[in-house]
Amino acid sequence: MTDAVTKRTESNPSVRSRDGRSTDYAALLLAAQGGNQAAMERLLMKAQEIAYRFSLLVCGHADDADDAMQEALLKRYRHAAQIKEPAAFRTWLYRTVKNACLIGRRRRVGEPARVQSLDEVLMAPDGSLQRIDVEDHGRRPDQVMENSRLRQSLHRALLTLPPESRLIVFLREVEGLSTREVASVVGISEANVKTRLHRARLSLRRHLEAP
Amino acid sequence: MKTPASDRCRALLEQLSKYIDDELTPAERRALTAHLRRCPCCQTMADSLKHTVDACRKAGTTRLPADVRVRARARIATLLAAGPASRPRT
Repeated sequence: MTDAVTKRTESNPSVRSRDGRSTDYAALLLAAQGGNQAAMERLLMKAQEIAYRFSLLVCGHADDADDAMQEALLKRYRHAAQIKEPAAFRTWLYRTVKNACLIGRRRRVGEPARVQSLDEVLMAPDGSLQRIDVEDHGRRPDQVMENSRLRQSLHRALLTLPPESRLIVFLREVEGLSTREVASVVGISEANVKTRLHRARLSLRRHLEAP
Repeated sequence: MKTPASDRCRALLEQLSKYIDDELTPAERRALTAHLRRCPCCQTMADSLKHTVDACRKAGTTRLPADVRVRARARIATLLAAGPASRPRT
Protein backbone atom coordinates (compact mmCIF):
# COMPACT_ATOMS: atom_id res chain seq x y z
CA MET A 1 0.00 0.00 0.00
CA THR A 2 2.91 2.28 0.69
CA ASP A 3 4.08 1.87 -2.89
CA ALA A 4 0.63 2.70 -4.18
CA VAL A 5 0.55 5.83 -2.08
CA THR A 6 4.00 6.84 -3.23
CA LYS A 7 3.08 6.35 -6.88
CA ARG A 8 -0.10 8.40 -6.52
CA THR A 9 1.79 11.09 -4.69
CA GLU A 10 4.56 11.40 -7.22
CA SER A 11 2.30 11.23 -10.23
CA ASN A 12 0.00 14.01 -9.11
CA PRO A 13 1.57 17.41 -9.75
CA SER A 14 -1.34 19.36 -8.29
CA VAL A 15 0.53 20.37 -5.17
CA ARG A 16 4.18 21.04 -5.78
CA SER A 17 6.35 22.40 -3.05
CA ARG A 18 9.16 24.90 -3.66
CA ASP A 19 11.76 22.15 -3.51
CA GLY A 20 10.18 20.52 -6.55
CA ARG A 21 8.76 17.56 -4.67
CA SER A 22 5.07 17.09 -5.18
CA THR A 23 2.85 16.20 -2.29
CA ASP A 24 -0.66 14.95 -2.78
CA TYR A 25 -1.99 15.69 0.67
CA ALA A 26 -5.45 14.37 -0.14
CA ALA A 27 -4.04 10.99 -1.18
CA LEU A 28 -1.82 10.83 1.88
CA LEU A 29 -4.70 11.74 4.15
CA LEU A 30 -7.02 9.14 2.65
CA ALA A 31 -4.30 6.51 2.99
CA ALA A 32 -3.63 7.55 6.59
CA GLN A 33 -7.32 7.41 7.39
CA GLY A 34 -7.38 3.93 5.91
CA GLY A 35 -4.75 2.80 8.40
CA ASN A 36 -1.59 3.27 6.34
CA GLN A 37 1.05 3.97 8.98
CA ALA A 38 3.67 5.17 6.46
CA ALA A 39 1.25 7.76 5.08
CA MET A 40 0.42 8.95 8.58
CA GLU A 41 4.13 9.26 9.39
CA ARG A 42 4.69 11.35 6.25
CA LEU A 43 1.79 13.62 7.06
CA LEU A 44 3.05 14.12 10.60
CA MET A 45 6.61 14.81 9.42
CA LYS A 46 5.27 17.40 6.96
CA ALA A 47 3.57 19.14 9.88
CA GLN A 48 6.85 19.08 11.79
CA GLU A 49 8.80 20.60 8.91
CA ILE A 50 6.24 23.33 8.34
CA ALA A 51 6.10 24.19 12.04
CA TYR A 52 9.90 24.46 12.14
CA ARG A 53 10.09 26.79 9.12
CA PHE A 54 7.20 28.82 10.50
CA SER A 55 8.94 29.23 13.87
CA LEU A 56 12.17 30.29 12.25
CA LEU A 57 10.91 32.55 9.45
CA VAL A 58 7.65 33.97 10.82
CA CYS A 59 8.17 33.96 14.60
CA GLY A 60 11.92 34.50 14.34
CA HIS A 61 12.72 31.93 17.01
CA ALA A 62 14.00 28.50 16.07
CA ASP A 63 14.10 27.68 19.78
CA ASP A 64 10.30 27.93 19.89
CA ALA A 65 10.08 25.28 17.23
CA ASP A 66 9.92 22.26 19.50
CA ASP A 67 6.83 23.54 21.32
CA ALA A 68 5.16 24.55 18.06
CA MET A 69 6.06 21.22 16.48
CA GLN A 70 4.65 19.29 19.42
CA GLU A 71 1.42 21.29 19.35
CA ALA A 72 1.05 20.92 15.58
CA LEU A 73 1.75 17.20 15.81
CA LEU A 74 -0.90 16.51 18.40
CA LYS A 75 -3.56 18.60 16.70
CA ARG A 76 -2.89 17.04 13.36
CA TYR A 77 -2.98 13.52 14.72
CA ARG A 78 -6.22 14.18 16.57
CA HIS A 79 -7.97 15.49 13.48
CA ALA A 80 -6.41 13.53 10.64
CA ALA A 81 -8.68 10.55 11.12
CA GLN A 82 -11.81 12.67 11.21
CA ILE A 83 -11.31 15.38 8.60
CA LYS A 84 -13.93 14.99 5.85
CA GLU A 85 -12.59 17.25 3.10
CA PRO A 86 -9.19 15.98 1.96
CA ALA A 87 -8.98 18.76 -0.66
CA ALA A 88 -9.01 21.38 2.08
CA PHE A 89 -6.45 19.55 4.17
CA ARG A 90 -3.46 21.64 3.14
CA THR A 91 -4.95 24.97 4.19
CA TRP A 92 -6.16 23.34 7.38
CA LEU A 93 -2.63 22.14 8.06
CA TYR A 94 -1.18 25.66 7.72
CA ARG A 95 -3.90 27.13 9.92
CA THR A 96 -3.10 24.50 12.53
CA VAL A 97 0.61 25.24 12.42
CA LYS A 98 0.00 29.00 12.53
CA ASN A 99 -2.22 28.65 15.58
CA ALA A 100 0.17 26.25 17.27
CA CYS A 101 3.06 28.67 16.79
CA LEU A 102 1.03 31.63 18.00
CA ILE A 103 -0.06 29.68 21.09
CA GLY A 104 3.60 29.04 21.79
CA ARG A 105 4.33 32.75 21.46
CA ARG A 106 1.51 33.69 23.84
CA ARG A 107 2.87 31.32 26.45
CA ARG A 108 6.01 33.41 26.41
CA VAL A 109 4.26 36.66 27.24
CA GLY A 110 6.33 38.34 29.89
CA GLU A 111 9.58 36.90 28.66
CA PRO A 112 11.96 39.40 27.08
CA ALA A 113 11.31 39.75 23.37
CA ARG A 114 14.36 38.78 21.35
CA VAL A 115 14.64 37.86 17.74
CA GLN A 116 17.05 35.04 17.15
CA SER A 117 19.28 35.56 14.18
CA LEU A 118 20.00 32.87 11.68
CA ASP A 119 23.66 33.29 12.60
CA GLU A 120 22.82 32.02 16.06
CA VAL A 121 20.84 29.13 14.64
CA LEU A 122 23.72 28.08 12.42
CA MET A 123 26.59 28.90 14.76
CA ALA A 124 28.19 26.04 16.68
CA PRO A 125 29.27 26.54 20.31
CA ASP A 126 32.88 26.96 19.20
CA GLY A 127 31.89 29.78 16.85
CA SER A 128 32.22 27.78 13.66
CA LEU A 129 29.42 27.53 11.14
CA GLN A 130 27.37 24.36 11.58
CA ARG A 131 26.45 22.11 8.74
CA ILE A 132 23.87 23.94 6.69
CA ASP A 133 20.72 21.85 6.53
CA VAL A 134 19.51 22.82 3.13
CA GLU A 135 19.54 21.14 -0.21
CA ASP A 136 23.03 22.21 -1.12
CA HIS A 137 24.35 18.74 -1.77
CA GLY A 138 26.71 18.67 -4.71
CA ARG A 139 27.22 22.44 -4.82
CA ARG A 140 30.57 24.16 -4.56
CA PRO A 141 31.49 25.54 -1.12
CA ASP A 142 31.41 29.12 -2.41
CA GLN A 143 27.89 28.55 -3.72
CA VAL A 144 26.86 27.07 -0.39
CA MET A 145 28.29 30.06 1.49
CA GLU A 146 26.66 32.49 -0.93
CA ASN A 147 23.31 30.74 -0.43
CA SER A 148 23.87 30.88 3.31
CA ARG A 149 24.54 34.63 3.20
CA LEU A 150 21.45 35.15 1.07
CA ARG A 151 19.32 33.19 3.52
CA GLN A 152 20.63 35.22 6.44
CA SER A 153 19.90 38.47 4.63
CA LEU A 154 16.44 37.23 3.72
CA HIS A 155 15.78 36.17 7.30
CA ARG A 156 16.72 39.63 8.59
CA ALA A 157 14.63 41.29 5.89
CA LEU A 158 11.60 39.10 6.67
CA LEU A 159 11.71 40.14 10.31
CA THR A 160 11.38 43.81 9.32
CA LEU A 161 7.94 43.13 7.79
CA PRO A 162 4.71 43.53 9.75
CA PRO A 163 3.69 40.08 11.13
CA GLU A 164 0.78 39.57 8.75
CA SER A 165 2.85 40.48 5.71
CA ARG A 166 5.57 38.12 6.92
CA LEU A 167 2.96 35.38 7.20
CA ILE A 168 1.72 36.08 3.66
CA VAL A 169 5.25 35.97 2.22
CA PHE A 170 5.94 32.75 4.11
CA LEU A 171 2.79 31.02 2.88
CA ARG A 172 2.92 32.26 -0.72
CA GLU A 173 6.64 32.38 -1.51
CA VAL A 174 8.33 29.98 0.89
CA GLU A 175 5.63 27.32 1.13
CA GLY A 176 4.15 27.77 -2.33
CA LEU A 177 0.48 28.08 -1.42
CA SER A 178 -1.84 29.61 -4.01
CA THR A 179 -3.25 33.08 -3.47
CA ARG A 180 -6.61 31.52 -2.68
CA GLU A 181 -5.07 29.19 -0.10
CA VAL A 182 -3.17 32.05 1.52
CA ALA A 183 -6.40 34.07 1.72
CA SER A 184 -8.10 31.14 3.40
CA VAL A 185 -5.33 30.61 5.97
CA VAL A 186 -4.89 34.30 6.81
CA GLY A 187 -8.60 35.14 6.65
CA ILE A 188 -8.47 38.03 4.16
CA SER A 189 -9.55 38.45 0.52
CA GLU A 190 -7.42 37.30 -2.41
CA ALA A 191 -7.15 40.90 -3.62
CA ASN A 192 -5.82 41.89 -0.21
CA VAL A 193 -3.28 39.05 -0.30
CA LYS A 194 -1.99 40.26 -3.68
CA THR A 195 -1.72 43.88 -2.55
CA ARG A 196 0.11 43.02 0.66
CA LEU A 197 2.36 40.52 -1.09
CA HIS A 198 3.41 43.13 -3.64
CA ARG A 199 4.23 45.69 -0.94
CA ALA A 200 6.09 43.05 1.07
CA ARG A 201 8.14 42.07 -1.99
CA LEU A 202 9.12 45.70 -2.58
CA SER A 203 10.10 46.08 1.05
CA LEU A 204 12.14 42.86 1.03
CA ARG A 205 13.84 43.97 -2.17
CA ARG A 206 14.92 47.23 -0.55
CA HIS A 207 16.43 45.35 2.39
CA LEU A 208 18.14 42.73 0.26
CA GLU A 209 19.56 45.29 -2.14
CA ALA A 210 20.77 47.61 0.62
CA PRO A 211 24.58 47.66 0.91
CA MET B 1 8.86 67.77 -11.04
CA LYS B 2 7.19 64.57 -12.18
CA THR B 3 7.57 63.66 -15.78
CA PRO B 4 5.14 61.52 -17.76
CA ALA B 5 7.85 58.88 -17.91
CA SER B 6 8.16 58.65 -14.12
CA ASP B 7 4.38 58.38 -13.80
CA ARG B 8 4.48 55.59 -16.32
CA CYS B 9 7.26 53.85 -14.39
CA ARG B 10 5.33 54.21 -11.14
CA ALA B 11 2.19 52.74 -12.69
CA LEU B 12 4.14 49.81 -14.10
CA LEU B 13 5.82 49.21 -10.77
CA GLU B 14 2.41 48.23 -9.44
CA GLN B 15 2.20 45.57 -12.15
CA LEU B 16 5.56 43.95 -11.52
CA SER B 17 4.26 41.35 -9.07
CA LYS B 18 1.56 40.34 -11.53
CA TYR B 19 4.27 40.17 -14.19
CA ILE B 20 6.39 37.88 -12.02
CA ASP B 21 3.35 35.74 -11.14
CA ASP B 22 2.27 35.63 -14.78
CA GLU B 23 -1.08 37.20 -13.98
CA LEU B 24 -1.07 39.99 -16.57
CA THR B 25 -3.32 39.90 -19.61
CA PRO B 26 -1.43 39.39 -22.88
CA ALA B 27 -1.91 43.07 -23.76
CA GLU B 28 -0.64 44.22 -20.34
CA ARG B 29 2.32 41.90 -20.60
CA ARG B 30 3.25 43.18 -24.04
CA ALA B 31 3.03 46.79 -22.86
CA LEU B 32 5.14 46.09 -19.78
CA THR B 33 7.74 44.08 -21.69
CA ALA B 34 8.04 46.88 -24.25
CA HIS B 35 8.53 49.43 -21.48
CA LEU B 36 11.16 47.30 -19.75
CA ARG B 37 13.14 47.13 -22.99
CA ARG B 38 13.19 50.92 -23.19
CA CYS B 39 13.66 51.72 -19.50
CA PRO B 40 16.84 50.37 -17.84
CA CYS B 41 15.68 51.64 -14.46
CA CYS B 42 12.45 49.61 -14.55
CA GLN B 43 14.31 46.61 -16.00
CA THR B 44 16.72 46.72 -13.07
CA MET B 45 13.80 46.96 -10.66
CA ALA B 46 12.03 44.02 -12.32
CA ASP B 47 15.20 41.89 -12.19
CA SER B 48 15.79 42.83 -8.58
CA LEU B 49 12.23 42.01 -7.55
CA LYS B 50 12.41 38.68 -9.35
CA HIS B 51 15.67 37.95 -7.52
CA THR B 52 13.96 38.72 -4.21
CA VAL B 53 11.06 36.40 -4.97
CA ASP B 54 13.47 33.65 -6.05
CA ALA B 55 15.39 34.03 -2.77
CA CYS B 56 12.16 33.59 -0.79
CA ARG B 57 11.22 30.52 -2.79
CA LYS B 58 14.61 28.95 -2.18
CA ALA B 59 14.01 29.27 1.57
CA GLY B 60 11.30 26.63 1.14
CA THR B 61 14.00 24.03 0.51
CA THR B 62 15.38 24.39 4.03
CA ARG B 63 15.43 21.03 5.75
CA LEU B 64 15.14 20.27 9.42
CA PRO B 65 18.49 20.37 11.22
CA ALA B 66 19.59 16.85 12.09
CA ASP B 67 18.94 17.14 15.83
CA VAL B 68 15.49 18.64 15.26
CA ARG B 69 14.65 15.89 12.79
CA VAL B 70 15.67 13.20 15.31
CA ARG B 71 13.41 14.75 17.95
CA ALA B 72 10.57 15.04 15.44
CA ARG B 73 10.87 11.39 14.46
CA ALA B 74 10.93 10.33 18.13
CA ARG B 75 7.80 12.38 18.86
CA ILE B 76 5.97 10.82 15.91
CA ALA B 77 7.06 7.31 16.88
CA THR B 78 5.84 7.84 20.44
CA LEU B 79 2.50 9.17 19.23
CA LEU B 80 1.94 6.34 16.76
CA ALA B 81 3.09 3.68 19.23
CA ALA B 82 0.37 4.82 21.62
CA GLY B 83 -2.12 3.74 18.94
CA PRO B 84 -5.45 5.06 17.69
CA ALA B 85 -7.17 4.18 20.98
CA SER B 86 -5.25 6.97 22.67
CA ARG B 87 -6.49 9.63 20.23
CA PRO B 88 -8.56 12.13 22.11
CA ARG B 89 -12.00 12.75 20.61
CA THR B 90 -12.62 16.18 19.14
